[in-house]
Amino acid sequence: MKKRLSMLIAAAAMTGLMATQAMAAEEISFWDIATDEPDKTIWSWGVDQYNENDSEETGYTVNQVPTVNDQYKQKLAVAMASGECPDMYIHWTGGPMVEYIKSGYAKDITELFQKYGLDELYTDASIAQCTVDDKIYAIPVKNDSVAMFFYDKAMWEEKGYEVPTTISELEALCDKMVEDGITPFALANSAQWTGSMYYMYLVARYGGPEIISDAYDGTGSLVCDATIFAGEKIEEWVEKGYFPDGVNSLSPDNGDDRALLYTGAGMMLHGSWQVASIKSENPDFYENLGCFAFPTLEDSEADQSVVVGTMGDNFISFNCEDDKLEAAVKMASYYSTDEWMQLDIESGNLPPLKAATSEEPAWQDILAVLNDASAIQLWWDQYLPSAVADVHKSATQLLFDCSETPEKVAQMQQDALDEYFAENS
Amino acid sequence: MNKESLASRRQRSTTICAYVFLIPVIVLMAVFLFYPIVQTFINSFTSWNGISANKSFNGIYNWNKLLHDADFWKAFFNNIKIMILSLVIQMPIGILLATFLDTGGRKYNFFKVIWFLPLLMSSVAVGYLFHYVLATNGGIISGISQLFGGGVVDLLGSQTYALYAVIGVICWQFIPFYMVYYMAGYSSISEDLYEAAAIDGATRTQYIKKIALPMLVPTIKSAVVMSVVGSLKYFDLVYVMTNGGPGTSTELMATYMYKNSFVTYNMGYGSAIAAGMFILITAIATIIMKVMNTGGDD
Repeated sequence: MKKRLSMLIAAAAMTGLMATQAMAAEEISFWDIATDEPDKTIWSWGVDQYNENDSEETGYTVNQVPTVNDQYKQKLAVAMASGECPDMYIHWTGGPMVEYIKSGYAKDITELFQKYGLDELYTDASIAQCTVDDKIYAIPVKNDSVAMFFYDKAMWEEKGYEVPTTISELEALCDKMVEDGITPFALANSAQWTGSMYYMYLVARYGGPEIISDAYDGTGSLVCDATIFAGEKIEEWVEKGYFPDGVNSLSPDNGDDRALLYTGAGMMLHGSWQVASIKSENPDFYENLGCFAFPTLEDSEADQSVVVGTMGDNFISFNCEDDKLEAAVKMASYYSTDEWMQLDIESGNLPPLKAATSEEPAWQDILAVLNDASAIQLWWDQYLPSAVADVHKSATQLLFDCSETPEKVAQMQQDALDEYFAENS
Repeated sequence: MNKESLASRRQRSTTICAYVFLIPVIVLMAVFLFYPIVQTFINSFTSWNGISANKSFNGIYNWNKLLHDADFWKAFFNNIKIMILSLVIQMPIGILLATFLDTGGRKYNFFKVIWFLPLLMSSVAVGYLFHYVLATNGGIISGISQLFGGGVVDLLGSQTYALYAVIGVICWQFIPFYMVYYMAGYSSISEDLYEAAAIDGATRTQYIKKIALPMLVPTIKSAVVMSVVGSLKYFDLVYVMTNGGPGTSTELMATYMYKNSFVTYNMGYGSAIAAGMFILITAIATIIMKVMNTGGDD
C-alpha cells in the first residue's frame, strides 16, 4: 500500500513541474504539530537545512506535514491502523510510545544515535525517556517541560505576597488572596490533564515518585495514604475557593487559564512551555513573569525535590529502514546543532541538550529548580498506559467539583490499572 | 412466438441495464457500508490496539466486558435522555414553527431565514459558540446572572446540568431542520383541500387541526425515526463542548467508542461498542417504527 502511495506521489511529481528533473528524490514524510509560531519556525528550520544541504547526497527529501495538536494523536493512530504510518513522526513517549514500538512503527535507533554523536549532546534524563529495554527509540526535541507555578511578579510585589516554600505557606498565601478577592489558582480543567498536575505533585510530595512507579510495576497500589492525601487537599482547596468558578468547564485549549492569570489570578501551575506562549501572546506580562517550584510538604519523608515534567516535550520516532532511516535520523540531528539550539532558546524554550542554557529571565528560576531536582517524574498521563491515563484524568477531575471521595478516585485509578494488568498479562 | 421473445429480450436488456446502473451504488455501499460493518463485528472479537498488524482473537471477552461495563450503560442512558428530550422538544416546536410559516406565506420570509440559520453552521462552530456563551469567565449566561447579583452559572462544568445544557444546544441546532422538513410536508398537501375546507366554512385553525396535521402524520413518523436514530448515534456537539466530561457525566455511546478506539488504543473493545450500538439502535428504531405503524392502522 505504502509502495503504491509513494509510486503515486512519484508519478504525480514526474508529470508535474518536476518533470525536468531526471530523477526525483525519494520522500521522507514527517508529521509534527508545528501549526503555530514559534513552533513553525523551530521545526521547519531543521527540515529546510536538511533539504538544502543533504537531500542530494542522501537521495531523500523530507516533507513536513503539520497537524493541529488536539487531533494529532488520533490522526497518527488512524494512519498507523491503515498502514499509512509516516516515516518520521513526533510523539510524547510514555505509554503510547510503547504501543508504537510493540506494533513495529518505532524503529530501534540506538546505533545511529551513537553514530551521530547524539548521546554526547543530549541530557541523560532526556535519553532515558526515549529508552525502552536499553534501546533508544526516539530523539528528544524542543523543550524541557516541567510543571511550575507561574505568577505576576509586579502584582505580588504590590500586594506584598511572598513566594511560598512549603504547602502550609502556600495555603496561608491562598487564604490571604481569597480575602483580597483574588482567585489563587488559575486553572482551566476541562482538558483534565491540567488539574492532574496538582494531584501528581501532592502525591509526589506526600509519598515520593515511588507511589506511581510502584503501582505501575504492580508492587504498590494507588489506593494509599498519598493519593488520599492529594484528593483531600484538592477538595479542601476547592471548598476554600482557591480555584476559579466553573474550573471544570474552563478550557486550557482556549487559553482560559492564561486569561485568568493575565486578569489578576494569583498563580498558575502549568508546564514550562507556557513561557514561550506567554512571551509571544502577552509580551508586557512576560516582563514580570516569575515562577517557583511546587512547595514542599513539611514532615514528609519523601524526596521533596522531585519535579513533575518531561525532558524534551516532543520526541521523533522513525518508521523506515536502512539508508532511509539513516537519512531521517540525519535530518532529526539538525535539532541538536548549536544554531538550532539558539533559535529554540530565543523563542522561549530550553532544549534537552547538555549545552543549552537560557538568558531568558523566566527560565532562570526554572533552571534553578531543574538543577536542584533529584528526579524528573513523567506526567502520569504520559507514563501510564493510555487506557489507565484516561481514567486517571477523568477520575481526578471529579475532585475539582467534590463530587467523588478521594478514596473512590484512588480506587477508580487502581481498578483501571488492575484491568490493564489483567488484559496484558 | 416472435412477439414473446421480443418481450423477454426487452425484459432481459432492462434487467442488464438496471444492474449496470446499480453497480456503482452496490460497489460504494459494499466498500463503505457493508464491509466496515462486517469488519467491525469481526474486530469486536479480537484484542487489537488499532495500530499493530497483529490482532489476536479473544472470543467473547469484549462482549462480556461490554455487557458488564457500567460506563457504557451510563452512556446508553445518556443517549436515551437525548432521544426523549429531542422528541419532546424538537418535534412540537418544529411543527409549530412550520405551521406558523406555512400560514403566513411570503410575509414571514424574514423569520424563515433567521430560523434556518442555526442549521447552516457546522456543529464544531456551534459547539465553540456555545462553549463561549456558557463560559464562566465572560460568558453571556454568567454575565447576565452576575448583572442581577447572582453568582457564576457553570452549566458545562456541572455533572448534573452539563448534559441538559448540551441537549439545549442540540435542539437549537436541529429544530430548524425539522421545521424545514415539516414545511415540505405541508407544501405537499394540495391547496385544493384548503379551498374545499374554506368553502365548507372551516376556519384556519379547524383546517390545521382536522386536515393539515392528520395529513402530516407520515412526515412526523419519518421525522421521529430520524430523530431517534440521530440521537442514539450522536457525537459531535458533545465531543466539542464537554468531551464526555465532567467525569463521565455527558459520555455518549459514540464518544465512549471513540475514546476506546482512538484515544486509549483499544480498537477491539471500541469495535464491540460500535457493534453494540449498531444492534441497540437498529432494535430501538425497529420497535419505534412497529409501534407507530400499528398506531396508524387503528
